[in-house]
Amino acid sequence: MASKEVQHDSDDGMDEFMDKFKTQNYKNAFSEDNWEEEFDRIPMFMKKAPEEIDPQKYPELACLQAILHDEDRPPEEQAKGLKDEGNAYFKEKNYQKAILSYTAGLKKKCGDQELDTVLLTNRAAAHFYLGNMRSAYNDAAAAKKIKPEHLKALIRGAQSCIELRNFSEAVQWCDEGLKAHPTDKKLQELRAAADKHKRAKERDARKAKIKQKKLLAEKEALLAAIKDRGIKLLQSVKPRPSGSNSEDEDEGSSAAISQLSLDGLGSQEATGAQVFLDEQGSLHWPVLFLYPEHQQTDFISAFSEKDCFLDHLAIMFGEELPPWDTDRKYHPNNLQLYFEDEEKDTLYQVNQETSLLHALQHKRFFVKSGTPSFIVLVKISSFSKQFFTGKTIRNTMEDSSLLW
Amino acid sequence: MLSETEAAELLSFLSPETRPDVKGQTTEYILGMSGNRDGCRFLRSKADLLHAVFALTSDPSIAIVKDCYHILINLSADETLHQVLVADVKVLPVLLKKLLDPEYVFADQICSILSNLTRHTKTCKTVLKVLQEEAGLSQLVTIFCTEGYNKKANFHYLGPLLSNLTQLPEARDYMMDKDRCVIQRLLPFTQYQASVVRRGGVVGTLRNCCFDHARHEWLLSDAVDILPFLLLPLAGPEELTEEENEGLPVDLQYLPEDKKREDDPDIRKMLLETLLLLTATGGGRNALKDKSVYPIMREFHRWEKDVHVTAACEKLVQVLIGDEPEQGMENLMEVDIPEDVEVKLKEADVKEQEELEKEQEEMRQEEEKKKSDAPGTDKGQDDGLTR
Repeated sequence: MASKEVQHDSDDGMDEFMDKFKTQNYKNAFSEDNWEEEFDRIPMFMKKAPEEIDPQKYPELACLQAILHDEDRPPEEQAKGLKDEGNAYFKEKNYQKAILSYTAGLKKKCGDQELDTVLLTNRAAAHFYLGNMRSAYNDAAAAKKIKPEHLKALIRGAQSCIELRNFSEAVQWCDEGLKAHPTDKKLQELRAAADKHKRAKERDARKAKIKQKKLLAEKEALLAAIKDRGIKLLQSVKPRPSGSNSEDEDEGSSAAISQLSLDGLGSQEATGAQVFLDEQGSLHWPVLFLYPEHQQTDFISAFSEKDCFLDHLAIMFGEELPPWDTDRKYHPNNLQLYFEDEEKDTLYQVNQETSLLHALQHKRFFVKSGTPSFIVLVKISSFSKQFFTGKTIRNTMEDSSLLW
Repeated sequence: MLSETEAAELLSFLSPETRPDVKGQTTEYILGMSGNRDGCRFLRSKADLLHAVFALTSDPSIAIVKDCYHILINLSADETLHQVLVADVKVLPVLLKKLLDPEYVFADQICSILSNLTRHTKTCKTVLKVLQEEAGLSQLVTIFCTEGYNKKANFHYLGPLLSNLTQLPEARDYMMDKDRCVIQRLLPFTQYQASVVRRGGVVGTLRNCCFDHARHEWLLSDAVDILPFLLLPLAGPEELTEEENEGLPVDLQYLPEDKKREDDPDIRKMLLETLLLLTATGGGRNALKDKSVYPIMREFHRWEKDVHVTAACEKLVQVLIGDEPEQGMENLMEVDIPEDVEVKLKEADVKEQEELEKEQEEMRQEEEKKKSDAPGTDKGQDDGLTR
């Protein structure tokens, strides 16, 4: 703005220069509408740096940046400039950009160990806030290598270890740090936290191990119980996709147990039900009833081996007959049960009053997919006759060659 | 013993310029002397001989240095020698300096000497003072806790040294400095399998520290969390119910079936005594009760065979399951016991000890009858003497 006072004793062209303002208006002054915008474009008054510095739009800023990155300056100065740049980005929480600046600073290899340590430590912090724990750790370790007693590096290293769940190492970092800085509260705090996590982790491992052992013992007991009863499990030919149903599968389990798991767990029909041994030592099986006449099935998730078929049939076909039984034929006393010996194309009649256990123990009964299945037909029906073509029918009671 | 001339002759043989074989024979002879009480007492009066021996710890011959250190270990085991060793021969500054040297081959021997010198309060105070001047207790703890600090030494005898030092309140103050992390670093060593000396030293240190009941709250808090480290050596492989497990401190949950208890009955007793100390305050009692320490003690009681240790266990259990004392008596260590009651209690204690001894003797006789030809192993009490 024009100055009223004129220096009379200056002999540079100041007088003339100042005189001009008496007659000419100041051009390029801020106008009232856009002065804020204008302010924002002057580097000194900028509140935050623009994302990209377009030399056209922000010539001054581009100029400053060029000065910063001027290759003619000594590397230490450049590195320091980059450190400051990184710190500025860091303050704005622009961690990605901060990392770039710090990295550029390190690349200068200026030889100033103090500076390099700070660059690494700050970069570690930026990585930390971005969640790049491994990078944070690596940078902290590199900083520690240069200056083993650098407190911030030690703290950051310990923190990264904790995030990476390397609790033992975290404690080591803290102990190292406490040697040089015995009264540092942050290190003490971190050490206590890391130690606590470490011990909790160890407890979790112990708990899991015991649980695994228990599960294995249960599986073995189950298998033994099945074997003792002389019940045969049919091995699946198809390999199961790994991890399909067996989330508690023990890797090192014996072949028999894996066979049981393969066969016993989740066949397509089942709802993940599996044979189990109850507290009294009885087995309970998932059982399928097939009604080929109507292409229907019934699934009983836990059929006690002590129960007989009539017990269940009386309930299933008791009060109300199923909706698919359009001819109203399926009364329990009209029904005949069979199990199929696929290998020999033979159907074996099963008396309704037999227990499940008894049926399963038949020489030719093979439990497929851990789920025993039984065919239910109406006695003396046209469908049954049709169904029997090509198959042999055997009565489980008569055949003397059959052994239980 | 030796005459004055004989002693003078010995002294001359100990000079650094003497032929190595003569020097060696002399140190061997003195080593023999230091192995018994009379020899020690004689040497006590011969400060110049002691000076010479100490000087020879810098001798180029390893064998001679070794002998000299063993002499010093023997001498330091006798309390009457402490004054001359510390005040006359002034062993401490040199020994401490060498102790800190990560390459020094005889660091362990120095630890034994220092451990001996700190057994009794008087010299212990002097040792602590010189220690703080030369190296600082923090250095000692660091060396103790740093695996591989010295490839030729294991520093196990720093354990008893620390234990002895914590007889003194200044040492305890340092150990339990809230602004530092000192005692916390010792805790894992209550389970250190490889050395009973180290383990015993650490447990002894913890027990001494627990005499300061003003610090119990801090010791039991998360900042230190001393409790699990005292209980772990006493916990066994017995399976506990899920409910019992979940109530225990984290470190004691779900212990595997190969978990072994502390082997040494003296250490087991010390652990129980430490736990008992922690029950002195109401806060401490609550902490132990809250953390369901009882199942651990129950199983321990079933397992323990030693009568003295069992007695300590029962004392602890009594406090854990007993009622809270009446108002004004919550801090058991500050209760004023009337004199006549105190006398009666002391008598009861003595009687209890006698009964325990009797019980133990009976048990031992029974054992011996069973295996009549098996010699009982000499426990080999560590009295610091090397022969």
